[in-house]
Amino acid sequence: MNKVTLKFKSRMENESFARITACAFLSPLNPTIEEMMEIKTIVSEAVTNAILHGYDSNPNKLVKLEIGYDDNGCVTMIISDSGNGIEDIRQAMEPLYTSKAELERSGMGMTIMQTFSDSFDVISRLKEGTSVVVQKQLQKSK
Amino acid sequence: MRVEKKKDVLTFYLNEDVDDYQISLIKEECIRLIDSVHPAKVILDFTDVSFVDSTGIGFVLARYKQCASNQCELVLRGLNQHHRVIFAMSGLFHLIKEEACL
Repeated sequence: MNKVTLKFKSRMENESFARITACAFLSPLNPTIEEMMEIKTIVSEAVTNAILHGYDSNPNKLVKLEIGYDDNGCVTMIISDSGNGIEDIRQAMEPLYTSKAELERSGMGMTIMQTFSDSFDVISRLKEGTSVVVQKQLQKSK
Repeated sequence: MRVEKKKDVLTFYLNEDVDDYQISLIKEECIRLIDSVHPAKVILDFTDVSFVDSTGIGFVLARYKQCASNQCELVLRGLNQHHRVIFAMSGLFHLIKEEACL
């Protein structure tokens, strides 16, 4: 089991840092290009949600990204914020639902994360924050 | 982002990452140009885009709506498999055509 924890400011430009770091950390597992794109997308969506919805785009908060993997290539990622929390998780998970349509959001973030992961959970408490827990089994490296 | 205007076609050559941050840098310029140039057709070229997430879907759909209200056609060009997978999830190919690269 290997693990890394990152904490970074809730600034948009850190989304790219977070997804590239995640891929660099997982490189010993030799993920396929497709797996890498899927992991990058999951991290990007979760960090975007933390910044945009968790913190209402306040750039001075902290987002936490934890990534680990076991000997079988099962990857666990937890992306958390200590922001607003989600009032209705079921509604937030609906494809095309967005609470920020005025910002040209598509409402597809949750659906994309769900599609690209093997297990996907959202744990949220109002005014305390949200954690997204993702598990993804990588193909065995040859 | 490079922008090209040929006859009545406006082409936006998008950069490497189509994510929250990069879109925040180019969105206003795209909106302004579409409204001021009044093209008959807008092309969003993804040839150089290596990453796209749901922010990209939101951006494409918003430009589609903007173009539709300007009686202008919007097409996507230079998509790779990853872009298609992301865009297809939202159903946007029911509204927006993909054009082959020249």
